[in-house]
Amino acid sequence: MSFLEALLVGLDEARRHLGQTVLSLLGLVLGTASIVTVLALFGGQTKHTQEYLSQVGGYGTVIVRDQELAEQPSARELASDRLTYRDAAYLKEQATMLSAVAPGWYDELEYRAGDVDFTGPVVGTTPDYAVINDIRPEVGRYLSDLDVKLKSRVVVLGWKYADSLFGAAERALGKTLQLSERTYTVVGVLEREEFYFAAWTDNWLEYRNERAYIPITTAFTQYSGDDDQLAFLTLKATTPTGSRSATEQVRMMLRLRHGVEDFDIQPTGGADADDAAFILMFNFIFLVVGIISLFAGGIVIANILLASVVERVREFGTRMALGASSLQIFSQVLAQVLVIAVVGGITGLSLGTALTGTVAYFMRLPAVVTPPIAALAIATSVGVGIVAGFYPAWRAARLSPVEALRYG
Amino acid sequence: MALLEARGLEKTYRLGQVDVRALRGVDLDVVRGEYVAIMGPSGSGKSTLMHILGCLDTASAGTYRLDSTEVGSLRGRALARVRNRLVGFVFQTFNLMPRLTIEENVALPLQYRGGFARRERLRRARTLLERLGLGDRFRHRPDQLSGGERQRVAVARALIGEPAILLIDEPTGNLDSKAGAEVLRTFREVHATGNTIVLVTHDRHVADEADRLVQLTDGKVVA
Repeated sequence: MSFLEALLVGLDEARRHLGQTVLSLLGLVLGTASIVTVLALFGGQTKHTQEYLSQVGGYGTVIVRDQELAEQPSARELASDRLTYRDAAYLKEQATMLSAVAPGWYDELEYRAGDVDFTGPVVGTTPDYAVINDIRPEVGRYLSDLDVKLKSRVVVLGWKYADSLFGAAERALGKTLQLSERTYTVVGVLEREEFYFAAWTDNWLEYRNERAYIPITTAFTQYSGDDDQLAFLTLKATTPTGSRSATEQVRMMLRLRHGVEDFDIQPTGGADADDAAFILMFNFIFLVVGIISLFAGGIVIANILLASVVERVREFGTRMALGASSLQIFSQVLAQVLVIAVVGGITGLSLGTALTGTVAYFMRLPAVVTPPIAALAIATSVGVGIVAGFYPAWRAARLSPVEALRYG
Repeated sequence: MALLEARGLEKTYRLGQVDVRALRGVDLDVVRGEYVAIMGPSGSGKSTLMHILGCLDTASAGTYRLDSTEVGSLRGRALARVRNRLVGFVFQTFNLMPRLTIEENVALPLQYRGGFARRERLRRARTLLERLGLGDRFRHRPDQLSGGERQRVAVARALIGEPAILLIDEPTGNLDSKAGAEVLRTFREVHATGNTIVLVTHDRHVADEADRLVQLTDGKVVA
């Protein structure tokens, strides 16, 4: 009996016991669908995380933050100048693994324009900051080298602040505003930045819309009394994958200069940990449901197939009398389950694709059922079917012809 | 030399605590082209003998040679091969596959033998069915046929592999007298074309058709 004919017999069996077939399909379909959905969502999230990273400047970004002094600082800690503008200049000159260095001054200042006033963050920095963090002005320009050199009283506003202070981004350009009673001219407003990991998460980039940038030299002169203490340094490694080694290099250089490690340094990661953990858990639940469904589906198939084998004992006896070998009987039963498994796999794949689309739509998650996922889904279903069919097929194959013929 | 040669066949079943000796040393020779009827009351062991001759079961003791093949020592796959090539078995209840067409049913042994394309198998099945007077029923299912017709389909299925021997179990057991007579005529025709037939029955009338009668009682040949 050729394999094709065994398949046809299997198909016929499946059609004849339609109720049983549908039942045994159910587990397989649900299991396969769940697994397809999980894999598609997971793949989408991985892609999404990469998109986020590239939106905040891509791989290869390193942040150094000034560390607060301990309550009882050591002599070495007291002796250190801490993170300074000079460190930035030094790194720019000496660190071989960095392509850009942006020093950062940071404070909360009082914004005032007309009768609007509020307190918000202000960042003092250099033009490199925009390059490292992939910041683009929507109107006007970002800070320039000349601004830094001349300690100009210019400001670049985040989108939200421009909107709050002047009603619209375009209207802010060229206007003046006060930052803690010093007057500045608006030379640029940044693009609005948005990133939602899922529909129910906040805009992870909202902080970028709610701040202003001034030249770092201006910040030192106006607010720090010419002291060059930094809040942070943002660095860019020469290659996207070089952030780890660049981190180590910078760590060594700064430790030597400071005589102590009084700073935090780390390559930028991606996602907000809580949301990511929630989504991982969500994936995990889907995956567990999928595996349980497949397992249950496998048991149901084994059971139903076993019943069908018992029901057809005389038929197997007759086939053996006509010369069917044990192997041929075994193949016949396995072909029957194979038909069920392939149909179950394909149905599960379709259902999973639909489910993925629905979840992706309502949760605003990017998820795609790729060919490898589809192949894996079918393979899993067929695998479960074959494992489930093995025992019934073996039972049928080892029947004794004479006992099988006497049966029933 | 005999086509079929059984010597001292014994078969002992274990039913619970009791050993049942169904065959107690049966000797049987059948020569090529012979038509033999085995008769005996129920419990005489004729079904057991039939199963052993048909290679569906193996004897507890004794030797069995079929078409110069020492069958008694074969097991599993080799035995399946003998069933497929040397034996044509006609069951009392016909045992046709209800979901296959008549021609597919008849072609089954060739399917298990391998080496025949489906088209060729069905062609041979149709040729045989025409010879047995079922030329217009190729595509029917067994339940659309009368008992006598089903019996003839079963005969065609047994013959398609050109076996050395045709084994027939209680051919008229499930037929009315008219269909029974028809079937006996079929056997005579099949025998006339050179086939060797061994038939088991408890019907004197059927046994009279055969060239030779073997009487079985209590697991022994008595005549």
